[in-house]
Amino acid sequence: MSTNLKISNVTKIYPGCVANDNVSLEFNSGKIYALLGENGAGKSTLVKILSGVIIPDEGEIYLNKNNLKLNSPLDAKKNDIGMVFQHFNLFETLSVFENLIIDSDEQRESLREKIDSIMKKYNFSIDLDIPVLNLSAGQKQKVEIIRCLIRNPKVLIMDEPTSVLTEQETSELFLSLKKFSEEGILIIYITHKLKEVMQLCDEVAVMRRGKLISVSEIKNENIESLANKMVGQNLKTIKKKKAKTSSDQLIKITNLNFSSEDPFETNLIDINFSVNRGECLGIAGISGNGQSELFQVLSGEIISEKNSIEFNNNYIGDLSPQERREYLMAFSPEDRLEQAAIPQMKIFENVALNNFKSSNFFNNGLINENKIKEHSKKIISDFNVNTDNIELKSQFLSGGNLQKLIIGRELITSPDLLICFNPTWGLDVGAINYIHETLIKINEQNKSIILISTDTDELLKLSDKISVIHKGKLSKIMNAEEVTSEKLGILMGGAN
Amino acid sequence: MIKIVKRDQPSRAIFFFTPVLAIFLTLVAGGLIFFILGFKPFEALKFFFIVPIADKYGFSELLLKATPLCLIAIGLSFCFKSNNWNIGAEGQLTFGAIVSGGVALLFYEQEGFYILPIVILAGAIGGMLYASIPAILKTYFNTNEILVSLMLVYVSKLILDYLVVGPWSNPEGFNFPETRQFSDSAKLPLLFEGLRIHAGIFLALAAVVISWFVFYKTYLGFQMKVSGFSLKTARYAGYKGKKMIILVFLISGACAGLAGVGEITGPIGQLHREISPDYGFTAIIVAFLGRLHPVGIIFASLVVAITYLGAETAQIFMQIPKYTGQVFQGMILFFLLASDYLLFFKIKFIGSKK
Repeated sequence: MSTNLKISNVTKIYPGCVANDNVSLEFNSGKIYALLGENGAGKSTLVKILSGVIIPDEGEIYLNKNNLKLNSPLDAKKNDIGMVFQHFNLFETLSVFENLIIDSDEQRESLREKIDSIMKKYNFSIDLDIPVLNLSAGQKQKVEIIRCLIRNPKVLIMDEPTSVLTEQETSELFLSLKKFSEEGILIIYITHKLKEVMQLCDEVAVMRRGKLISVSEIKNENIESLANKMVGQNLKTIKKKKAKTSSDQLIKITNLNFSSEDPFETNLIDINFSVNRGECLGIAGISGNGQSELFQVLSGEIISEKNSIEFNNNYIGDLSPQERREYLMAFSPEDRLEQAAIPQMKIFENVALNNFKSSNFFNNGLINENKIKEHSKKIISDFNVNTDNIELKSQFLSGGNLQKLIIGRELITSPDLLICFNPTWGLDVGAINYIHETLIKINEQNKSIILISTDTDELLKLSDKISVIHKGKLSKIMNAEEVTSEKLGILMGGAN
Repeated sequence: MIKIVKRDQPSRAIFFFTPVLAIFLTLVAGGLIFFILGFKPFEALKFFFIVPIADKYGFSELLLKATPLCLIAIGLSFCFKSNNWNIGAEGQLTFGAIVSGGVALLFYEQEGFYILPIVILAGAIGGMLYASIPAILKTYFNTNEILVSLMLVYVSKLILDYLVVGPWSNPEGFNFPETRQFSDSAKLPLLFEGLRIHAGIFLALAAVVISWFVFYKTYLGFQMKVSGFSLKTARYAGYKGKKMIILVFLISGACAGLAGVGEITGPIGQLHREISPDYGFTAIIVAFLGRLHPVGIIFASLVVAITYLGAETAQIFMQIPKYTGQVFQGMILFFLLASDYLLFFKIKFIGSKK
C-alpha cells in the first residue's frame, strides 16, 4: 500500500511576512524527502500546516487523493500523519510508558505489548518505567517516535531532529528512518544541514523566503549546488564599492570566551577578529549559533575580560554599554520591540535610551525634555522616519520606521563603530534598501560596522570581510570577494 | 446582540474610568449584601459611607486612616511600576515601627526638638532594612519576592509580640502587652485641638510630591520606568538593573516604615501588639485603585479609608461585625480587576435586524 501526500498551492501570510507563498509539493512513500532551507525560509510553517498546528490561508492538502481538513494536531493524528518536533513534548516527571499512553484510548496491556514489539523490531532499548527526565536527548526522541509509531502512521515528519543529538545518536536515527521508509512510511525530513541531506535523503525540496525554489533528486545534487539554492544567488551587482583599504585598526577581539549557565544560550569559544576603520565585517550563521551572545558581549550587556576587547587603543572588555558609548561605539540589537525600544514609551523617550554625557539629556539627574525632543526631531528628519509627532508611542511606528529611528538614534552621535544584529529582519524592501544605503554611507565616512546577520544576501552586499559563526566558534575571516554563497552555506552548516 | 471585541490599544479614558466603575459596582454589590442581611440597602450604605465623615471629627479620622494607606501605596507604586511584587509592606511597617519605637523608648522622659526627627528617621531605616531582605534575596539568589516579603510579615509581627510582652514591656504596666508611653518630644504634633489628625499627613503629602517628581522628572525615575517595562532594554541602555530593583524595595520599605512611625508616634503613642489594622496589605489595593499614579493614590486612599470608618460605624449602629470593611476592600479590588477587562476589550451592541 503506497502513500501519496500532495500539498497544493498553500499560502500562509503573517503580518509583514509571507511564510509560505503558493507552495505545491508531492511526496510518495518509499522515499525519504528533505525539506531544506535557512531559518525563516518557511519550512517550519509548512510542516506545521501538515501537522494541523497552523491553518493555511489558502491551499489544499491531499492524502491518497483525499482532501484533508487539518484544523488541529488531532486531525493530523487521525489522518495518520505523525510529527516529531524539534523540541520534545514530553512530561518529564511521568514515566516513559505514561507518556506513551497519554493520548491513546487503547487498553494499557495491549498497548504495552504493542510498544514492546515496536521496540524489538527497531532495536530500541528504553526502560518504559523510568521517568522521562532520566533519558538522554536521543532516547527522548525515540519516545516521541514510538508515540507516532503506535498509531501506524502513513507519514512521519521529523523537524530538525539532529539538532540535539550526538553523532552516534544521529547515525542510529538515520538507520531507523531508513527502515521506516522501507516499510512504506513516507518520511519528510526538515533540516538546514546539507551533509545530512546528502547522507539520508532521496529527494530534496529547497525553500527560500517562503517560496519553493526547487525539487530534485539527491543524486543530481552536491553540497555546493544545494548550498547555492538554499542561500540564493548573491546579487553582486548592487554590492557596494570596495572601501579604500585601511590598515588603521579600530577594534580587536582577542581570545574572547563566554560560557553561560543557561542551557538555551550558546557558549562563545575563543573568538578572535579585528576590524579596521571604514570596514564592514559581516558575521554569517544560522540563528542560534551564538550571534546573540556575541552581540551582547560586544555591546557590554555581558561583561568579559578587560583585555579581550581593545577599542581605539583602550581595553574596554569590562565596561558597561553606557561606558562603551562614551568611547563612540553604537549598538542596534536584533529585537526592536523588546530590547532596542520600548513600544509603550513615546518616541522621544526612546531616543533618550542612547545617552551620552555630551548630549545633555539628563542634567544633574533631571530630565532635560527640551533637549531630548530637539534631538528626536533631528533624527526623524535626518533618517526619514515617517512621522512628525515625537509624542507618539513608538508601538505605532511601522517596523521600518522604528528601525530607522533606532539606527538614527545610534548614528546621529557619529560613532566610530556600529554593531548591528539583523538590522533588516522582517522589514519591507523599501526600508531594507534605506538601511543598507545608510550602512554603506557610514563606511564611506571611514566609520566601521560589525554586521551580525542571518541574511546571506545582506552580508554579501555590505561586508568587506566575512566570517561565519557556528556553535559559538568563528570561522577564519575571509575577504568578501573570495566568498561565494555556496561557501557560506557550507560553513554555516558546520562543514569545513 | 452583544459582542466582545478586542481593542487595538488599551483605552486611556477607560484607564481612569474603571476605578470609578469598580467603586460603583462595589456600592451596588454592598447594597445587595446588606439587603440579603435584612437591612435597608440605602440606609446601610449611608451608615457605611456618609455618616462616618459627616462631622469634622469624622473627617479627621478619615485623613488619619488615609495617611498610612497613601504613604505605603506611594512606596509600593515604585515597586509595582517596575514589576517587583513587594507584598510585605505590613512587615516593613511593623519593623519600622519596632525600630523607631525602640529609639523613642531610649529617649523616655527626655525632652528635645531633635528627638522626633531621629525617631522618624529610625522608622524609615527600619523599613528599608526589612525591605532589603527580599530585595537582596531576589537579586542575588533568585528567590521569589512575593513569598519572601509575605512571610517576613509574620516574622516581624512575632518580633513585635516578643518585645512588647518581654524586654520592652512597661515595668509599671501590670503585664499588659505594651510598652511605656513615648515622651511628648517623640510624638508627632496634633494639628487641631481635640482631633486625632497629626503631622504625619505632611509626610504622606511630601511622599506624593517627591514620588511624582522622581517618576516624571528625574533620570532615576526614567531608569526605573525603563527597567520596569523591559529589563532587556535596561541592560542594553546600560542601566544597573539589580541596583534599580534594590532601590525600589528600599523606597517602598522606607515609606512603609514611615507609616509605622506615624501610627505609633501619632494616635497610639506606644508600641503594642496591634499597631496596624493591616494597612500594609490594604495599601496594595490602594496602589492599584489609584493606578499607581501619585494623584490617583490620594483619591484611592481616601476611598479605602472610608471602608475602615464605615465598618466601625456599622458595627456600632447596625451590630454587624467590623470585618465588613474587609469585605468592601476585597470587593473593590475584585471589581477593579474585573473591569480592567474593559481596558483591552470593548463591548459592542449589535442591533438584530428583523
